[in-house]
Amino acid sequence: MDKNQSIITCKDVSTDRLKDISFELRRKQITTIVGPSGAGKSSLLFLLNRLEEPTSGEIYYLGRNIKDIPVTQLRCEIGMVFQSAYLFDGTAEENIQYGPKLRGEVEDCDVNRLLDLVDLPQSFKSRYVTSLSGGEQQRVAIARTFANKPSVLLLDEATSALDIKTTEHIEELLIRLRDEKEISVLMVTHNLKQAERMGEQTLYIEEGRLLESGLTSEIFEHPETNHFEQFLKE
Amino acid sequence: MEGNEISNLSLLFIIVFVFIPVSLSYWFSLDLSKTIIWSSIRGVAQLFIIGYVLTFLFDLPSWQGIGLWVTVMVIVAAINASRKGRNIPYVFPVVLMVISLTEVFILSLWLLFGYIPFSAEKVIPISGMVIGNSMIAIGLALERLQHQFSEEKGRILAALSLGATPNQASLQIIRKTLKAALIPNIDGLKTIGLVQLPGMMTGLILGGVSPLDAVRYQIVISLSIFVSVAVCAMMVTLLLYRFYFNDKMQLIDLNS
Ligand SMILES: Nc1ncnc2c1ncn2[C@@H]1O[C@H](COP(=O)(O)OP(=O)(O)OP(=O)(O)O)[C@@H](O)[C@H]1O
Ligand SMILES: [Mg+2]
Repeated sequence: MDKNQSIITCKDVSTDRLKDISFELRRKQITTIVGPSGAGKSSLLFLLNRLEEPTSGEIYYLGRNIKDIPVTQLRCEIGMVFQSAYLFDGTAEENIQYGPKLRGEVEDCDVNRLLDLVDLPQSFKSRYVTSLSGGEQQRVAIARTFANKPSVLLLDEATSALDIKTTEHIEELLIRLRDEKEISVLMVTHNLKQAERMGEQTLYIEEGRLLESGLTSEIFEHPETNHFEQFLKE
Repeated sequence: MEGNEISNLSLLFIIVFVFIPVSLSYWFSLDLSKTIIWSSIRGVAQLFIIGYVLTFLFDLPSWQGIGLWVTVMVIVAAINASRKGRNIPYVFPVVLMVISLTEVFILSLWLLFGYIPFSAEKVIPISGMVIGNSMIAIGLALERLQHQFSEEKGRILAALSLGATPNQASLQIIRKTLKAALIPNIDGLKTIGLVQLPGMMTGLILGGVSPLDAVRYQIVISLSIFVSVAVCAMMVTLLLYRFYFNDKMQLIDLNS
């Protein structure tokens, strides 16, 4: 497939919290979203996972309007990891198998491999999620989303609760998934270093508006707007 | 009935006893005096009025008396129970329908198997028990449902985002809601007669009916109540949880 093919396209998308957002995500691309607290970053991810509906504008996935794709299928293909882990009562294994189980594909779900992917030992399988630390819970949540084999991954500050070493592992993992599985990643982060390190493309959102977007290396070097320049300085 | 009657004077004494908790509340500044006095007066007045209403109803032809009063009870119960789920769309019509259907169903069973004759003296009091208990269970279920949906919002979103349908995403919530709504009745059934004699049985025994005959009535009543409570809570929960989602399988924030 063409690397430049757009996998997600947002056209003039608005909600009561977002105004006229337009951008493109490309296949095998990592895009980072930055912006002040309350800017609407999480809200944007909700729209792409179709947990919320835009009041105007259109979103396309692989050229198809997402309104024309069965909702559950879309949500599996555009997987999402939330700002909080939101694990279900039960063991790590039960959580990881949740998605595949819904579709009766539990046999295809290699829990050991998924735990391995997020740097958790296999002994964690039978651990109750309530006994896990915040960072461990977040990693189980990431594994749970991976279990659905998404082709786009939406991450909402997925590494903000993790230490430097685990964060590095997750970052390596994302890069590996992009290279090997051709996954596109859209990640919200408060960590500007991470946004610059991981992003090929960066979106800067403030007060519900997409004020700046472009190749990460370019806009971090030469911000076009005062807003983004100010934000980088803080 | 061979039971002795309570004179006006002795009735007055029991009311005087209400001043014990009132003075306690006053001494310990519990700020409950007004509520206690008000609810006692209200309770007494309500009961007297009901006494007259029942006398009036029992004098009417069965059809009219039963029809009139059961309708009133069902509507009052539906209004009361649905208040607990104010934010849920269609809560009143759904609750009204569920309580009515259950009452009609239970009443038909009673008449069909000849547990009671079709007379206002029998049908109205036991319908009252069934409807009253259903009202409480529905209220609990609605309260629980709302609470769960705001408490568990994140997990429901997570489930939806993993490809769950609204049905699959609310499974846990529905279970917890029903457990909460039914547990008081299940516990009550387990200890029935051991801790507290059920109100109706107490009444029958005081009225001179032999305990073994009273027990038979109580079995019919208790199980009828249990069945209707369970059916009501389940139907209401299963009919209403869907309103927390739209047709795009998105969670609607009804609590805000
Ligand atoms: N469920 C909701 N109902 C109403 N307003 C909301 C809701 N969730 C978020 N908001 C508001 O929408 C705006 C955008 O919120 P959003 O969570 O998208 O911001 P964010 O950029 O992700 O912020 P943060 O970096 O703090 O996570 C905020 O003003 C927020 O208060
Ligand atoms: Mg956010």
